[in-house]
Amino acid sequence: MTDWLFLTEVFLAGLGSGALYAVTGVAFVLIYKATRVVNLAIGEILMLGGYAFFGAAAGWHLPAWVALPVAILAGALVGAVVERGLIRPMLGESPISVFMVTIGLGSILAGFVQIVWGADPLRLPEFLPSAPIFIGEAYVAPKVAYGFLAAMVVVTAFVLGLRFSRGGVALKATAADQAAAYSVGIDVPRVFSLSWIVACGVAAGAGVLVGAIGGISPTMGVFGLSVLVVVIVGGLDSMAGALVGGLFIGVVEAFAGTFLGGEYRFLVTFSILILILMVRPYGLFGTHEIERL
Amino acid sequence: MRIGTLKTDYAADEALFDTRLQKLLILLACAAAVLFPFVASPYWLFLACLCAINVASATGLNILTGYTGLVSLGQAAFMSVGAYTVAVLEIHAGTPFLLNLLVGGLLTALVGIGVGIPSLRVKGLYLAIATIAASVVLHFVFAHWPLTGGMQGLSMPPARLFGLALDQPFQLYWLILPVTALMVLGAANLFRTRVGRAFIAIRDRDISAEVLGIPLLRYKLMSFAVSSFYAGLAGGLWAYFFRVVTPESFPLVNSIFYLAAIIVGGMGTILGGILGAVFMTMVPELLKFVAGLVTPFYPDALALLAPVRTIVFGALIVGFLIFEPHGLAEIWRRIRRFFHLWPFRT
Amino acid sequence: MRDWTRRHVLSAGAAMGAGLALGIRPLAAQGADEIVLGGSIPLTGVFAFAGIGIHAGIQDYLKIVNDAGGVEGRKVKYVAEDTGYKVDASVAAFNKITSQEKVSLYYGDSTGFSKTINPELERRGSILMAGASFASELNDPKKYPLQFMAGPDYSEMFGILLRYIANEKAGAKLAFVYSDTEFGRDPIGPSEALAKTLGLEVVEKIVTPPGSVDVSTEVLKLRRARPDFTIFHGYVLAPIPEFITQAKQMGLASRFMGTFWSMDNSTVERMGEAADGFMGVMPYRYYYDTEGESPMLEKIRQMRPEYQSTAYLQGFVTALLMCEAAKRTLAAGKELTGANLKAGLNSIKDFDTGGLFGVPISIPGNSVPVGRIYAFDGKAKQMKPASDWIRLEA
Repeated sequence: MTDWLFLTEVFLAGLGSGALYAVTGVAFVLIYKATRVVNLAIGEILMLGGYAFFGAAAGWHLPAWVALPVAILAGALVGAVVERGLIRPMLGESPISVFMVTIGLGSILAGFVQIVWGADPLRLPEFLPSAPIFIGEAYVAPKVAYGFLAAMVVVTAFVLGLRFSRGGVALKATAADQAAAYSVGIDVPRVFSLSWIVACGVAAGAGVLVGAIGGISPTMGVFGLSVLVVVIVGGLDSMAGALVGGLFIGVVEAFAGTFLGGEYRFLVTFSILILILMVRPYGLFGTHEIERL
Repeated sequence: MRIGTLKTDYAADEALFDTRLQKLLILLACAAAVLFPFVASPYWLFLACLCAINVASATGLNILTGYTGLVSLGQAAFMSVGAYTVAVLEIHAGTPFLLNLLVGGLLTALVGIGVGIPSLRVKGLYLAIATIAASVVLHFVFAHWPLTGGMQGLSMPPARLFGLALDQPFQLYWLILPVTALMVLGAANLFRTRVGRAFIAIRDRDISAEVLGIPLLRYKLMSFAVSSFYAGLAGGLWAYFFRVVTPESFPLVNSIFYLAAIIVGGMGTILGGILGAVFMTMVPELLKFVAGLVTPFYPDALALLAPVRTIVFGALIVGFLIFEPHGLAEIWRRIRRFFHLWPFRT
Repeated sequence: MRDWTRRHVLSAGAAMGAGLALGIRPLAAQGADEIVLGGSIPLTGVFAFAGIGIHAGIQDYLKIVNDAGGVEGRKVKYVAEDTGYKVDASVAAFNKITSQEKVSLYYGDSTGFSKTINPELERRGSILMAGASFASELNDPKKYPLQFMAGPDYSEMFGILLRYIANEKAGAKLAFVYSDTEFGRDPIGPSEALAKTLGLEVVEKIVTPPGSVDVSTEVLKLRRARPDFTIFHGYVLAPIPEFITQAKQMGLASRFMGTFWSMDNSTVERMGEAADGFMGVMPYRYYYDTEGESPMLEKIRQMRPEYQSTAYLQGFVTALLMCEAAKRTLAAGKELTGANLKAGLNSIKDFDTGGLFGVPISIPGNSVPVGRIYAFDGKAKQMKPASDWIRLEA
């Protein structure tokens, strides 16, 4: 076993977890692009997805291919309710207030999950093939590999969809100028709703993948913090940024964890965050419109 | 009924308390605060001390967020700086506690200035996120620095006054409450000065503030310094109160707690910081009390307590932001107004 | 708490309401001869799974004692408050309970709490405390004279595991995987030193951040180190299963071990396939253990026909040792002070716990350094003994 092989394996494992950051980051960016809301509850919606899958697969004994859509639908439903019930009334308020609303929402969701499923960490039923995967000689944990594939499919679909579909164009128009978009006949409120629905659905789906790898628990929402770093690094309003940022942070975390020790992971990612904020606050790919002095 | 506030000079206009009733109420509150420890049980004294510490910290955050408009999610991390400083000084130097508290506050102010530097580049949400990052870095430092005892943290001896150890809520009350009262009074007075008014000008519109001749750089950092000084003092009080400081004593969720406290209480009012902190500290106790009452009829009530607490915490933030953005202070103002206008307007 | 009558509740409620209104809590009227066991119990929060078991265990043991006439004729009353596994809430609960009752025994929920409250315990001098923490730091009768733990401390647990390993395979290579928390880091330093004296080699130490889910890079590190034994500490469940599953897929031939709080049968069972062969150290017999002579387990099985967790047993045993200490103190005609209770506890020598511990125990200091290695049998879905009882020499 050469060192290069080990490095490759670490790199691949990093890409694997980075892909999960990327897909959650995409959901985050979608919401931000459409509604300018920094949704810190994304981690909790992800958690809810994991639990919904658990409820469907372990509670109702549905097969995984039914439970997964159930989880995504549950996420989408929450997205719809939250957008109409909490975010729409906050329209026009300061971004900080809306940000705090999402923090409160995260707290509510975490409590809800504990009431329904209890505080114990749980494991999702196995649904991904468990045969080990080797790329060349390098080992990749199968769950991580499938997670990576699924995440990449979703992210690619998003990037393409944003570019070529009507909805994607409407979203871009809304993001660029809400009033102008409205005046050319784009139903802006509908764009708001749809973006929340789709984003929360995607986040819930990501939650199933994350849960399959590490199990689910009411504290799983901290995943959202890492995602926050990812989207800031990539640029809050850039899908490509979320992808690159996610993979980058994933790999950096993997190497930091391997060569410095697990306790350094957060330190390294947040140091990168500070650096980015000081040097390039709009992120690697974000629009240069960030309020600054 | 009150017809109006007639003022004949500027001093009256600037006064903190503008009516005699208000002054009377304040005096009554002071008297109650002095009498309280003699009638209350240790449990209530414990809660009173905890409330006071939270009031001190929330008031500090209010200066930064409520008055200067700079959002921080690092208040708990700043408190940990103060708490660790006090603990280290108490253990290794054995200096008098008032000095320790002061040093803790000043050191935290320095750290606060450091964390505030990004505020020159970014503001709003980005600043909030930068303060989260700073909390992570501070947590790491405390968890891995031998001086701060690593993950085990530090256990420290109690504060001493003339050879008497202050280790009971009853004694600590006399340390914590006066310090908090002074801090709150200081904050209230701050906004009668040029500095405080500059903060408000920056909050309302930073560019116009600059045009008015307020150097943004200096004043923003000053706001960070004052606010973290408060956090440091509150952290120091916390350390003397619990006498053990670990990296896990000040999690991110505590920072959210303080932000929630000033939202619920009312941002940008001194009263709001006090009301919010006391309210948010008492809500879990109230829930616990309710759970205790329900237990005989519904034995699992206690097990539901934590999730319900989490939900109530979130719901209070969301509910206040949507329905009462100016918080409890606004409700209080409305109640006062009702009595001012009574019986003409009902 | 459950068998409160309605009148109790109403009067207590009225009293509490009045107390709330005045800001005063009257000392609850209590029988002069009642012994009070207070508790800061984590019924909620991250440690709730254990807290609920502990709560039930304490209640059940006190029921047995009180049904049999109490301790030297004095009933034991249990007063608990939920803490959510937070130190400040635990301290608040302690203050609340001690201001309402004359507490002689106390159960604390975390290492942080045990450390925080220690000066207060010494100042009061009237309470003997034990708790859910097996931190090595607390196992120091000089620094913590009024506390004890109902089992081996974490370092001693490692000691038992390491002795077992040294017996199985001399010069074996070890890896420690632990969480970056006070709980996780507690035994690592001393255990490394002990491994050296036993001729074992610690080839890798892996720290995981608390709450981390993705362990794939850590597993790669583990594989590179190729240990014969991997010991997890500072976790309840996650991420142990994922670690084991991935390591097995990579063809790592290590054996996996855990310490007390990850040893509950139902938790191990939840590991799924990874559970098979999982080993660990446990000071008590399991609920279903019928091999040895254990009248106490019989009683528990009568009271509760369904499986009870190791946390339940921990609460049960802790209450048992507390009551034994109280009994010895009273029998010697001494007052129930903290120091006397501790002396009573320390006088326990070759004491039979009704078979809960597999061997007669002595408590010379703050811990009960006894344990046994169990391994999970995938077919029976049960932890089965893999070694004899191991007693560490103090």
